[in-house]
Amino acid sequence: MRWGMVIDLVKCTRCHACVAACRIEHFLPLHVTWPRLIALETDVGGKPELTTFPVRCNQCKEAPCVEVCPTEATTKRADGIVVIDTNKCIGCRYCVIACPYQNRTFISKDKDPGYFPGYDLTGFEKKGIELYPHQVGTTEKCNFCAERIDAGMAKGLVPGKDRDATPACVNTCQARAMTFGDLDDPDSEVSVLIRERKGFTLQPEYGTEPSVYYVDGKIGGKESNIAPENARTGSYIQYLSTVDIESKKRIDGLAEE
Amino acid sequence: MHNHTSRQWMITHEWMVKPMHQTEWIEKRGLLVWLAEVFSALGTGLYLIAIFVDNWWGALIGYLIVVFLKLPLHLLYLGKPLRFWRTMPPFSGAWRTSWIARGVVFSVSFSIFGFAQLVTSFFLTQSDMLAGLLPNIDMLLGQLHNIIYVADIILKVIAGIFVILTGIYCGFMMSYCKSVPFWNTGMLPVVILNAGIADGLALMMATGLFTGGVDFHILEHASRLVLGINAILLGTYLLSASYQSITAELSVKELLVGRVALIFWLGIVLFGIVIPLIISFTTMFTGMATELLIAGIICHTAGAFALKYCILKVGIYKPILPKSIVY
Repeated sequence: MRWGMVIDLVKCTRCHACVAACRIEHFLPLHVTWPRLIALETDVGGKPELTTFPVRCNQCKEAPCVEVCPTEATTKRADGIVVIDTNKCIGCRYCVIACPYQNRTFISKDKDPGYFPGYDLTGFEKKGIELYPHQVGTTEKCNFCAERIDAGMAKGLVPGKDRDATPACVNTCQARAMTFGDLDDPDSEVSVLIRERKGFTLQPEYGTEPSVYYVDGKIGGKESNIAPENARTGSYIQYLSTVDIESKKRIDGLAEE
Repeated sequence: MHNHTSRQWMITHEWMVKPMHQTEWIEKRGLLVWLAEVFSALGTGLYLIAIFVDNWWGALIGYLIVVFLKLPLHLLYLGKPLRFWRTMPPFSGAWRTSWIARGVVFSVSFSIFGFAQLVTSFFLTQSDMLAGLLPNIDMLLGQLHNIIYVADIILKVIAGIFVILTGIYCGFMMSYCKSVPFWNTGMLPVVILNAGIADGLALMMATGLFTGGVDFHILEHASRLVLGINAILLGTYLLSASYQSITAELSVKELLVGRVALIFWLGIVLFGIVIPLIISFTTMFTGMATELLIAGIICHTAGAFALKYCILKVGIYKPILPKSIVY
């Protein structure tokens, strides 16, 4: 069993709901973000495009962060999820530098000033400290909501199908751009998506074998890597927002319709 | 696209879309890593040269630089310094894969064997003085002398191996990072080790100015050779990096004509290599002049600081997405 995720770049509307869901799920400090939405701007043949890539820890099969960790604080579970024991982390930041995807965050004091500096902690913050303590001086990253998966599976639920066993970002994605499941199962939804829609990973040349795949994106600026023009998705709106005035008129037309 | 604000988690990042500099090991608290690596090169280089030329004071100073400057600076950098023991066996088996864990093992081993070697060498060099101070132990010293002599040689070999490993592991630690193509080359550890030896030669001459017992001509000959090798290695490293990948090429451009070009040309090339070489060659014809020697040593040490700074500063991550018009 190896948990993985497939992200459909066409469906992503850059709404940031996955980022907010993760923040709430893990009570993340103010300036810490586990998943990120990154923007790629291309301009091929006078056709500028803006594509959003939701990125998070790729839970690599051959994870450099596991290899470089000097205290074995970063380990890979049997189900492929790379986890950090912050009680063992010494904060050397070797993993931060060694990660080719830069998906790890060192928690320094300036990243955790509290949500309302100068005021008492809110009830939410107090609960967060109790349930999901974050240690200044250590490194953190996305863990595919391993605690949700463990708790859900203990109840006999299936990650990727049952909400209580599925990562918070996948649950909350209003565009259903994210799919979660077992990469080792050839019949799982993620495996089918990867197979049929030519899923790709980021920087495969490193040989890290990420567990996060992307579909429907032709990166590298060949032809449109976002939604087809007749699809009224958020990506299309993004695309139109970057092009010339004629296109802006078209978007106005769309709004009137 | 957007400036960082207090609500930065709700912005779309241009994170890793363009080539992005590593900052963890060179900015803010990361400056401690830079200083630690400089003292690592200076200390290990000096100790190594000192045990070769059999100079106790040089070995002592080299040892002190490693143990009381390099190690504390590395520890201070850690987010949780009191947990550093977790890096060492038997508490962790990470030394099998992690160069930091290996570095800690090498440094601690050097601290132990280096100290023992300094003690045995002290007894050997000061045995006459000790016999004079304490006549009653003269007989005992005589009997122990041969044993200590053998022990000293064995300890010099062991401490010498660990000091080389301590000096070179920083290079391996960086070259392991595939994320930074400029570092990700087998040449980097060799460049760093050779630079450390050159630093050691300069500091050995500086030590010799105060303590005596140093053959400056031999050190100058060695210095010329090592500095020449240093220049060739550095040139080869930069040349090979420039066509290794686009990102590594960017790093080289930053070094040669970019934001650290001044430090590179002034610190590394002029102070670190050219001036010490000119001084070294001048002494071949004019004889040893203390003023020139001091100038050369100061320039060389400045070069050591510049070299590590530049290498760390131009560490650039390869972007996540393929090359597009954004860079």
